[in-house]
Formats: sequence, structure tokens, C-alpha cells
Amino acid sequence: MNWAGAVFGASAAVALIGALGAVGLKNIFHNILSFALAMLGVAGVFLSLGSDFLAVVFALVYVGAVAIAMVYAVMLSDPLDEPRRPRSRSKVLGAAAFAAVGALAIWLVVYRAHWLSPGGPRRVSAAEIGVRFLQDYVLAFELISVLLLVAMIGAVTIARRVRPPGGRG
Amino acid sequence: MTALAAYLGFSVLLFGIGLYGLLQRRSLIAMLIALELMLAAVAVNVVVLTTYAGRDPGAGQVMALVLVGVAAAETALGLSLFVAIHRAQATIDVETVSELKG
Amino acid sequence: MSGPVLAALLAQWTPLAASALILVFLRSRPAAAAATAIAGITVSLAATGLLVAQVAVPGLSVLAEAEWLPVHGGPGLAFGVLLDPLSALMAFVVAFITLAVMVYSVGYMRGDPGFPRYYGFLALFAWAMLGLVLASNLLQLLVFWELVGLASFLLIGFWFERPAPAAAARKAFLMTRVGDVGFLLGVLLLIRALGIATIPELIEAATTRLEPGLVQVVAVLLLMGVIGKSAQGPLFTWLPDAMEGPTPVSALLHSATMVAAGVFLVARLHGFFAAAPAVMQGLLWLALVTALASATMAMVAGDIKRVLAYSSISQLSYMLMALAAGSVAAGFFHLTTHAGFKALLFLSAGIFIHHAHSNDMREISEHEPLKLTAGVVGLVAGASALAGVVPTAGYFSKEAVLTALGGTGGRVALALAMLGAALTAYYSGRMVFLTLGGRSPSRQVAKSLGEETHRHEHRPSYGDRMMAAPVLVLSALTLVLGYLGPFFAARLSPEAEHEELFHFGAQAVTALALVTAGLALSWWEFRRALAPRVGFAERVPALRSFFGENWYLDRLYDATVVRWTVALSRAAKWNDHTVLDGASDGVARGTVWGGRILAMVQNGYVQAYLAAVVSVVAALGIWLVRTGPRP
Repeated sequence: MNWAGAVFGASAAVALIGALGAVGLKNIFHNILSFALAMLGVAGVFLSLGSDFLAVVFALVYVGAVAIAMVYAVMLSDPLDEPRRPRSRSKVLGAAAFAAVGALAIWLVVYRAHWLSPGGPRRVSAAEIGVRFLQDYVLAFELISVLLLVAMIGAVTIARRVRPPGGRG
Repeated sequence: MTALAAYLGFSVLLFGIGLYGLLQRRSLIAMLIALELMLAAVAVNVVVLTTYAGRDPGAGQVMALVLVGVAAAETALGLSLFVAIHRAQATIDVETVSELKG
Repeated sequence: MSGPVLAALLAQWTPLAASALILVFLRSRPAAAAATAIAGITVSLAATGLLVAQVAVPGLSVLAEAEWLPVHGGPGLAFGVLLDPLSALMAFVVAFITLAVMVYSVGYMRGDPGFPRYYGFLALFAWAMLGLVLASNLLQLLVFWELVGLASFLLIGFWFERPAPAAAARKAFLMTRVGDVGFLLGVLLLIRALGIATIPELIEAATTRLEPGLVQVVAVLLLMGVIGKSAQGPLFTWLPDAMEGPTPVSALLHSATMVAAGVFLVARLHGFFAAAPAVMQGLLWLALVTALASATMAMVAGDIKRVLAYSSISQLSYMLMALAAGSVAAGFFHLTTHAGFKALLFLSAGIFIHHAHSNDMREISEHEPLKLTAGVVGLVAGASALAGVVPTAGYFSKEAVLTALGGTGGRVALALAMLGAALTAYYSGRMVFLTLGGRSPSRQVAKSLGEETHRHEHRPSYGDRMMAAPVLVLSALTLVLGYLGPFFAARLSPEAEHEELFHFGAQAVTALALVTAGLALSWWEFRRALAPRVGFAERVPALRSFFGENWYLDRLYDATVVRWTVALSRAAKWNDHTVLDGASDGVARGTVWGGRILAMVQNGYVQAYLAAVVSVVAALGIWLVRTGPRP
């Protein structure tokens, strides 16, 4: 039996259902939970591609960190008690149209490209990734570290309450 | 259909759904969610192509990991920005906070 | 550069220097202004005197030109002087009369707030007129022709704060402009045919290189300018109105020099016009009609300056008749004597006007005119010359004109010209008798009773002396100038072999008789005791208004040309406001509207921007895929 294919099919379905929920549901919490589901689906897809490390990282980062952070942000900002405004029908149709156009264009470009001879899924171990990071792609590794540091500091700075000068607020 | 086509089709669909959400949702956080979906689709695409249409899957996975890092950083910053915006204008409705007008 | 050329340039350009100096620096220094102007014109007079001595030799012609604007592929614009007896003599006359007028004006314009400006403009006029006289090609002449018109405008409208002089200046300028259009067209046609030719070349080409049809057309066009400038035919009505200017200006411009520029032009281009005899014939008859018409108008005018204005028109017609009949010498001789005695008449009239503060002859006569000796002498001498009484210069020159007419003009023309001479004598006498007062005793009583408020005993003041001197000099000249006839003949018409300008024959006797008759009639009506002091023409109301209102020509022009032009300019104004401004406003409005529409794209709506980005990238991608290599 084609385990990879089956895993892929199931994961893809989960991911797509989650994605549809993430953009379509009305309650923002439902969106976030759907999003988490979609990311789990994507992690499954990565598994079927033979990149287990990547799958685990995806699940950890997105479900474990990003979605939680989004919940926090919703708590701090989203006016949940405001009256829900109805979705404008023209906007929905317009967005769908543009999105379809964009997706179609990408499909055309990617599918018609002259790719090299196809290989097949090969398990890439975490060790291999680590070696690649520290040998061929060490610059990217360092940059990512700096980027994450800067992002953290920036996030804290932006979200701070501005205290009046002199004395504690 | 070939495996490549299936994977690519999946990533394009995921991207399209994310794009729809980006264009349609009013709340900034909802737009961010959609954006994350798009980034995930890109990561899938990169890994798929290096695996099925290229020679170096390892490089593809490294790229995807970098992408995850970037996405996380971006999410953190974006969310703190939304908090600050909400503090200033009591809303994070993209149609209200738009000031880049002609 | 030879002596005469240098003298000519000095004569011409010194007044310009004086004018510039006055108008720029001496605006608040009247004495210095007058002195500068008089000094400048004295230099010109000396220079022109030198010219006359050296160049007024029969048959001599000196041409000096310098190219100042080269033109690609042809002769360029040249500037120069043409010196021959005609231009030398005319220049001398201009300088002399200008000097006399300037000296006179020291007294006449005394105390006027615009005194320096007046002298500046007079000097400017002198420059322009001398430039016209000494010009070597027709284009240059045209330039100075227009400048003379400008000076006339500035001087007629000298007292521009009043509406009448301003309107008169405008009328003069516009009317002469109408003639100048024809002049310009003629010059352009000539340039097209010959390039910028000097005047001698032009005259020669008239009979050799140019076709007769073109010569006729050009002659007519050039004559349009003459008619405008010399106030003939349909374009004369500006001259009576030009009397709104100061009297010395009338003396200089509108009798002696500027209006004579037209006559000078015909004399200058005489060889050219001789090639179009039909046109000359037309000119003769036009001038004849003008002479008689203006004489009738002089017969009913009550303002002394208007009488003199109509008289100038009439005498200019005589000059043009002589030229049309073929005699340059006769025409120019009359121009010279007329310059002398007409200027004299205006200056004398000015003495009376200054004293009585009025132009009206009957009013002047009530202010003890006989006490102004210089004025009386001038008026009588000038009027005698105008009428053509025997020993005066006017007699000889008028005889010369009539002789020329009798030779080639035809008997009818001669008869009508003689009739004109009779009328001239009549209105000259009328003018003298009306101005100097009748002998009615009642008036004398009224005078002595009613005039305690009359000013002091008339003691001659400095101003009066300045006015008297030129008048007396000119009066003396009117007696002497007549004998210079043969001098003119020898220098101006050498080919006519000592043309007899005057000889005592039947024609001369007839003329003299007619003049005497005219004077007698005027004496009968105005001078003798118990005279009615109303002319025969003035008694008939229809004639009086017809003659008095320029034969209704002004009314005709108002109803036609003026009205059409005003309507046309209203239409142009409407077009400018509604169509042109509307169009440009419409473009502006459309641009703003378009901008507003385009601004709708920039609505600040981020998701719309994103949609745009997506579409463009998608399109680009699809396009690249279609045109790129096939898998």
C-alpha cells in the first residue's frame, strides 16, 4: 500500500478543511482553531514527503506558538462585543475572483515550468538538516537568529504602554 | 495524476484559500491568519519541488525552516502592532484604519 | 565717411540725444530741458545749413548706406542717408521751423507743469522727421514715418488729462494708421519684387524692371499713406481735431512739417509715380476736391486754429496738385513758403490765444488784440501770404503751382484751382478782420466800461518777447522767400531747363483779380463800418452746418466704420471670454474631474491594493508563460 500517498491524501484533506474554516468561519476563535487544524494537516503533508523534522517543527511553532499568540492578541484587541457587521456580498465575490485568478496564474506558471527529472521522497533526517544548516547555510542560520531576536525586541517595544516621562504610571 | 501534480495542486489550493482570506476578511488578525496559510503553502511548495523536481531535498527543507522562522517573527511583530493599533484607534478593522488615501 | 554724410547724421541724431537726455534726466528741470532741446536743434540747423551749402547742387546725389541686419540669402536691412537738393532743403526747413517753434514755446508754454516733457517730445519729433527726410530706402522711411506719427500722438495729446486732447490724439493716430496700412502693403510689395532697394534704385526700377500693373498698384497703396498723413480726401478729419494740442505743436507738426511729409514722399518718389500717370491724375482730382472742400469749411469756422487747420489741408492739396501735374519744383517751393507763413500764422494766433485765453476769433477781438504788435504784424503778413497778395512769398509759390497746373493739368482743373484761390483769399481776410476787431462803436464803449478786472497795461514780458521774436523773423521771411523761386527750380528740376516758375501772363492776372475779389468780399462783410460780421456762408444754416461739421464725414464714419469696428471687437471679446477662456477652463475642469476619478483608486483600501497587485502579477505570470519556452 502506498503509505505516503494515503498519508498525503488524509493530511491534505484535513489541511484544506482547516484552511477553509480559518478564512470562512465568523468567530475569530474558531478561525484560530481551524488554523491550528490546518497546520496539523500541513505537518502531515510534510510527513508524507519524508521530512519528519519539518513536520514536527511546523506543529510546534504554528500550533504551539503562533496560534496561542494570536489568541492573546485577540484577547487584547479584538472587540468581540461589537455588533457583527454583515459580510458584503460583492467583496466576497471579488475576493474569490481575484484569488482564483492568482491561484490559476501560479498553477500555470509552476506546472508548465521545465522541471528537472523527478526524484522521489527521501527521508531527510534532522541530523542532516543540522549539518546543512551549519555548513552550507550557516549564514541563513545566523540571520534567522538575528531576525528572531530583532522581532522579539520589536514586538515588545511596539506593544509597550507609553509611560508619561518621569515617574511610574 | 503524478505525485508532483497532486502536491503542487494542494499547495496552490492552500495558497488560493489564503489569498481569498487576505482579500476578504476585515479583521487584521484574520488577515494575518490567511497570510500564514499562504506562507505555509509556499513552504510546502518549496519542499515538494526540491523533492520531486530537483536534486537536493535537504536544501528545500532548510529553506522551509527559514521560512518558518520568518513567519514566526512576522507574526509576533504583526500581533504587537495590532495591539498598538487597537490601543490608538479602538479598532482593528482594516477598512477603518486605512489612512493611505489619495 | 564724407563731410555731408557726417553732417546729415549729426543733424539727425543730435535731437535724439537731446530728447533722451531730457526725458530721462531733466524731467524736473524746465530751464535745462528747454536749453538742451534748443541747443540740439541749433546743431541740427547748422548741420543742415552745411548740407544745403554742399549738396544743394543741381543733379548731385550722395547715398551712404550701412547694412545693419544681414538677412540670409539676400540683401539685408540697410540704414543710411540719401543726400540731394530735395532732402537737404527739406531738412533745413524742418530744422529752421523747429528752432523757431522751440524758442517761441519758451514763452508760450511757460509755467506748464509738463514743460520738460514737451521739449523732450519736440526733440523726438525733430529726430523722427529728419530721419524721414534723410532716409535712403523706403523701409527706413516707413520706420520714421511711423515715428513721426508717434510724436504727433504724444504732442496732440499733450494735455492728456483732458478728454478732448486724448480723444483727438487717438483719432489722429488711428486715421493715419488706416492710410499707413496701405503704405505698408505698398512697401511690402516692393520688397517682394526688389528686395530692400535704395530709393534711386527703386525709381529706376519703376520704368525698367517692374511691370506697369505692379507700379500702379504700389503707387495707389503708397498714396494711401500720403492721404492719411497729409489729411487729404477721406482721411482729413483728424487734422481739425488735432488743434487740441498746444499751438506751437500745431505750427510745427500740423502745418509746416509732419503733414508735409506726405508731400515730401511724393516729391521724393516722383520718378516712381511718373510711371503711373493714371494714378497721378487721380491724385490731382482728389487734391482738387479736397482743396475746395476744406476752403468751404474754413469759411465758417469760428475757432482761429480750425481755420488755419482747414487752410493747411487746402494748401497741402495745392502742393499735391503741383506734384501730380509734374512739377517737383513748384510743389516743393509751395511747401517751403507754406511752412514759413503757416507756422507764422499759428505762432501769431498763439500770441492772441495766450492773451485772450480763448481760441474763438470773436472773443479774441474783444480783448484788445491791436495792442499785441508782434501778433498783428505776424497775422497780417501771414494772411497776405496765404491769400497770395503780391510781394509775399505765398504769391509767388501759388503762382508756380497754378502755372504747373495750367501746363499739364487741364483747363477745368486750373479753373477750379483758381476758384480755390479766391476762397482762400476770402477766408484769410475773414480771419484777420474777425480777429482784429470791427469798428462798431458800441463795442468800444462796452469794453471800457466793463473791464476793470482786465489785467495790467500790456507790458511785454520775457515770455512775450520769446514769442514775438520768431514771429517777427518769419514775417520778414515771408517777404523775402518769394524771390527764391528760381533757386528751387534750378536745384529740383534740373532737367526742365530753367523751368519758368513764374511769368507774368493772362493766367497770373486772372489769379490776382480773383484774389482781390475774395479779399474785397471779406472786407465788405467783416471790416467796414456797420459790417454785419457774418459771412455769406454762415447765414445759410444748412451750409453752415454742412461746412462746419467736416461735410458730415465724421458722422458717416461713426455710423459705419466705427460702429462696425466696435461690433467686431465686441464679438472678439465674447469669443475670448466664452470660447477661448471657456475652452481652457474646460480643460482645467476636465483635468480636475479626471484627477478626482483617478483618485478613487487611491482609496486607502488595502485589500483593493492587494487585489490590484495580485491581478498584475498574475497577468505578468501568464504572459511570461505564454511567451516563454514550452516545457
